[in-house]
Amino acid sequence: MRPARDEIEAYVFQLLQELARDWEYSTTVGADTGLFSDLGFESLDAVVLGTAIQEHYDRPMPFAELLADVGQREIRDLKIGELVRFVETHLAAEVQEA
Amino acid sequence: MAVKVLLIGLDGATFSVLDPMVARGIMPFLGRFLAEGARANLRTIVPPLTPPAWTSLTTGRSPGHHGVFDFFRMDSPESRHIRFASSRDISVPTIWDAATAAGLRVTALNFCLTFPAPKVAGYVVPGWVPWRQLRLACHPADLFDRLKALPGFEPRELAMDVKLEERATEGCSSAEEYAPWIEFHTRRERHWFDVFRHLTDTAPSDLTAVVFDGVDKLQHLCWRFVAAEPGTVWEHEWERRAHELCLEYFRQLDGVIERMCSIAGREATVVIASDHGFGPTRQVFHVNAWRERHGYLTWSKEQLDKQEEGSALLGVGQVARHTFLMDWERTRAFATTPTSNGIFIARANGNGRGVPEAEYHSFRQRLVRELRAEKDPATGDALISRIDTREEAFPGPFSSLAPDLTLSLADGGLVSILPSDRLVSPRPAVAGSHRPLGVFLAKGPGVRPGADAGELSILDVAPTVLYGLGLSVPADLEGRVPEAVFEAEALKRKPVRVGAVAAAVETPAAASYAPSFGAAEEEAVMKRLQELGYVE
Repeated sequence: MRPARDEIEAYVFQLLQELARDWEYSTTVGADTGLFSDLGFESLDAVVLGTAIQEHYDRPMPFAELLADVGQREIRDLKIGELVRFVETHLAAEVQEA
Repeated sequence: MAVKVLLIGLDGATFSVLDPMVARGIMPFLGRFLAEGARANLRTIVPPLTPPAWTSLTTGRSPGHHGVFDFFRMDSPESRHIRFASSRDISVPTIWDAATAAGLRVTALNFCLTFPAPKVAGYVVPGWVPWRQLRLACHPADLFDRLKALPGFEPRELAMDVKLEERATEGCSSAEEYAPWIEFHTRRERHWFDVFRHLTDTAPSDLTAVVFDGVDKLQHLCWRFVAAEPGTVWEHEWERRAHELCLEYFRQLDGVIERMCSIAGREATVVIASDHGFGPTRQVFHVNAWRERHGYLTWSKEQLDKQEEGSALLGVGQVARHTFLMDWERTRAFATTPTSNGIFIARANGNGRGVPEAEYHSFRQRLVRELRAEKDPATGDALISRIDTREEAFPGPFSSLAPDLTLSLADGGLVSILPSDRLVSPRPAVAGSHRPLGVFLAKGPGVRPGADAGELSILDVAPTVLYGLGLSVPADLEGRVPEAVFEAEALKRKPVRVGAVAAAVETPAAASYAPSFGAAEEEAVMKRLQELGYVE
């Protein structure tokens, strides 16, 4: 059974909040937090985060394409809420394929 | 439990640097190690590059079999999507897997392509992971918090900082940056030693392995300071200081190795190995400029106009910047990364672009012929000393993911893949670049003191480690346990056992995104290619 969005959200928020503590980022992480604009991500950070999420769900997801799309935007940023929807979409796709 | 095998990786170490360091008394412990142990030159794989080379060292398999060719990887032979390679791309078992399968504990620190971490009984702190994400990369999950509690633990210095990594290949922007950059690497090795000491003190692993990568970084940027003859007169004070700090780095490294060997104890087999060697490089070959001149590659004028002036060389974080500069309608041969000296030939996909299958071999032969004929405009000497086809360099099941051609430059350096008006540019100062011959040193029970085994293959390291652990060597490993390193009596007492062929490792990451391009999808892919700099 695929996890519900709130479960995915809780996992991603907790993951990033935990990481953010290591960076001494004190603001609460939420759906509107930007990975690049607020958390100061660099590209490799996003690649590693994507890999860790795939590992957690044991499911490959096209993070490279997501980040390529982000790169085409006028403001190159990815909100955490969007990341959660991306994960949810691809976990849902897995269930449909099965 | 005690350490049975201690594997110390010195990224890029070469005897042309280490021997003089020993002779000058800067690395006295290494001198004693050599006297009591065995040595050999260690020939690496093609190309002499960190990710495929360390993967060959830890698997005993060549790149065509393990599937890693570069820092980056095409998603499939047909794809032009590039992504960072990860541990999921290693398609054969590693020494970590073999030890774990035998019920042994493993500690692996700072090895390239150990993220996501193998699920060993023990500890993994992967290398090449940004410091902000180190928590996610450590295995087991609580390891990062344990390390964070150590006095002086500083993830920002222990793990990777992309901006600092790029300086190794792009250079410092001012003389003032050299000293802090060298000192940073000296501190980083101390941090890795602290992690090693903590883990080995609290729960030692049968196989304990650590890579020190400052050797590579310093030699890239500071070759002239590292390899300087004694008595060199420096024009500037900052140069003298940089030289002294480089020597200090090696002095400290010697002390760290001594303490590690002491902690491991005399019953441990200690193997010191590098993934490749090093040597000087004085110029840059603009390989994509060469292709442009020969009509194999066309830059996109629209994208070029948007570019800012920059360095001739690319760092890891900048690979994207050149790929979207190409006009993919008219490009037939291209280099996608600045790291592997590899050339890919764009194959036709039934859409009128690229090289048709029937013409592939003749096209490639022409490319080889023309590249071989290319001369250094300044000296008239050949620019390229060797060209390997993918069949020659990368036989094996993953050959189709490898570059079609791999160049070895006469200068020993790396290519630039950015647009340029010139074919060859002199470097502002002599830098360091990878060479095929690295180092192998071993000491411990059964190792022949003072032995010089001549030349070994990097593929011999994994069998040697497995032998040291008392395990059998899988029959499909391409390397062997080097008998010249061990005493005959020891080999008689503990003969090399050849075991069953190891099962291949499933590589989900490699298999998942092999897009099958229809003509309609090609447009979308090409558009995305413009931004394939997710590393940007």
